[in-house]
Amino acid sequence: MTSQLEAVGLTLGYDDRDVVRDLDVTIPPGKVTMIVGANACGKSTLLRGLARLLKPRGGSVLLDGRSVHEQRSRDVARVLGLLPQTPVAPDGITVGDLVGRGRYPHQGWFRRWNAEDDAAVDRALAATGTADLIDRPLSELSGGQRQRVWVAMALAQETDLLLLDEPTTYLDLHHQVELLDLLTDLNRDSGRTIVVVLHDLNLACRYADHLIAMKAGRIVVEGAPADVVTAEVITEVFGLRCEVVPDPVSGTPMILPRGRHHADLAEKCT
Amino acid sequence: MTSYAVLRRRLRARAAGVTAALAALVLALFVVTLSVGSYRVPLDDVVVSVLHLGENPAVDFVVNGLRMPTALAAVFAGLALGLAGTIFQQLLGNPLASPDFVGVSEGAGLAAVAGLTVFHVSGAPISLLAFGGAMTSAALIYLLAWKDGITGYRFILIGIGVSAFFVALTGWVVARSEDWEARSAMTWLTGSVGQAGHGEIRALVVTVLLAIPAAVVLRRQLGVLALGDDAARALGARLELARLVLLGLAILLVAVATAAVGPVMFVALVAGPIAARLLGPAPGLLAAGLAGAVVMLTADLIAQHLLPASLPTGVVTGAVGAPYLVWLLATSNRKS
Repeated sequence: MTSQLEAVGLTLGYDDRDVVRDLDVTIPPGKVTMIVGANACGKSTLLRGLARLLKPRGGSVLLDGRSVHEQRSRDVARVLGLLPQTPVAPDGITVGDLVGRGRYPHQGWFRRWNAEDDAAVDRALAATGTADLIDRPLSELSGGQRQRVWVAMALAQETDLLLLDEPTTYLDLHHQVELLDLLTDLNRDSGRTIVVVLHDLNLACRYADHLIAMKAGRIVVEGAPADVVTAEVITEVFGLRCEVVPDPVSGTPMILPRGRHHADLAEKCT
Repeated sequence: MTSYAVLRRRLRARAAGVTAALAALVLALFVVTLSVGSYRVPLDDVVVSVLHLGENPAVDFVVNGLRMPTALAAVFAGLALGLAGTIFQQLLGNPLASPDFVGVSEGAGLAAVAGLTVFHVSGAPISLLAFGGAMTSAALIYLLAWKDGITGYRFILIGIGVSAFFVALTGWVVARSEDWEARSAMTWLTGSVGQAGHGEIRALVVTVLLAIPAAVVLRRQLGVLALGDDAARALGARLELARLVLLGLAILLVAVATAAVGPVMFVALVAGPIAARLLGPAPGLLAAGLAGAVVMLTADLIAQHLLPASLPTGVVTGAVGAPYLVWLLATSNRKS
């Protein structure tokens, strides 16, 4: 029952500028996909487009073969969840209240809150290790805890597909790894499809089953990180000379940038 | 460790308790309002008279004839402003986003003052003008703030600009009027629950009674809209529609309240935060409305009976509300 998300000829933009142009992509179901690219390459725009937060200027986003814009928003929200880059936490809101709001698409004018909703919130809190924070105000938590609570809210939505826009941006390295481990658990335990826009290339290479590298609104390469990440590709995508070596921890590709300074050993080698 | 079901039941019980207590307080203040004055009616006689349990023409005249309109206007204008204020604040995610400051009341003020001093009308036509002014300025702010949708920040800033414009025009209209007209204009602009006519009170009561169930139903939408546009859309909310309906409801409430009692300032600003103090963040809309009614009734009792001279309600709400606003600005600046 894993849902299929794809874009066909998708063009997205703001004001008078196209940010993503005529893009085709299929998100591999049941896998962790990471989207990387330089600033302003359109990766967040693509994610927002896939989550129907932006109306396409051309082409369409298909969820299980049907355009997301032609389906009821609530029906889409039961299958496809998104954690925005900067969601707004109302003043003083508690963890339980926030996570409970993730159940919104499962309710309606006549279907009120029931035991299944309670259970879903408890599952989301347990999965993210935030159950003992349930009555704490979000503002009192650390950045890492806060981000796990937002993930819990998106989890309470109980969608097959979960999209996250730079979920590690404000976290230190320890909490970045912790969050990516959590997303991997969510993928492995329940077969959820996870799509993440990520800044950190090395972590993206380590945690992605499927890597999408974008430049100027287009996909440059996509595939398993080990297959597609080469120094040439990284140079093309980021405009940066670099070395690619196996990550000593995971064996996945690891990118070592070459700046103008401190490249003495590399210069000697080449 | 608490499960969500336990937490939710606990919060719901607390909300029900606090809301009931606020309702009881409103009722008590309502009865006191009917009781006190130059001719003091004992509380039990007030109850007997209101419920038509006995005949006493003198008491009936004072309670139901003289004081009832004021008391009803205070309760329902307070409810309307409390509901509208908390909808604005939660929707726009800002404790400063009160309809008093974003131009709605000021639009009503300009239209009413123009009616009093330029067209020389009074009574019900003034209320109609105020209602029209409130709705027109709200529409103007909405159109000016529209840019691929409405963001709270733009709405507030544009509202403040529009508000300043209306205040300036109002000043000009007052300045070029006769002394006695200027006096009645300033009295109207202060706002008082005593000035409401029967027709306005009826319109206010009906609107509030219809708005309360609507607001309770829309609270779920308000809860996800408060998480920001992207999160709300991702959760499947029909963002623009929900926001338009909620803003429209709040503006309608402010317009009918202002039409009845004039622009009584600060009630809409403080009602939501008072309810939040009692209930925690994102308080129930009914609780916030009742808090508004408590503020309005208390302010009117102070204005009418505790001060040496009887004053318009707006003087008291302003005197208490303005320092609160300063405190709010000072502390919220420090936080960020």
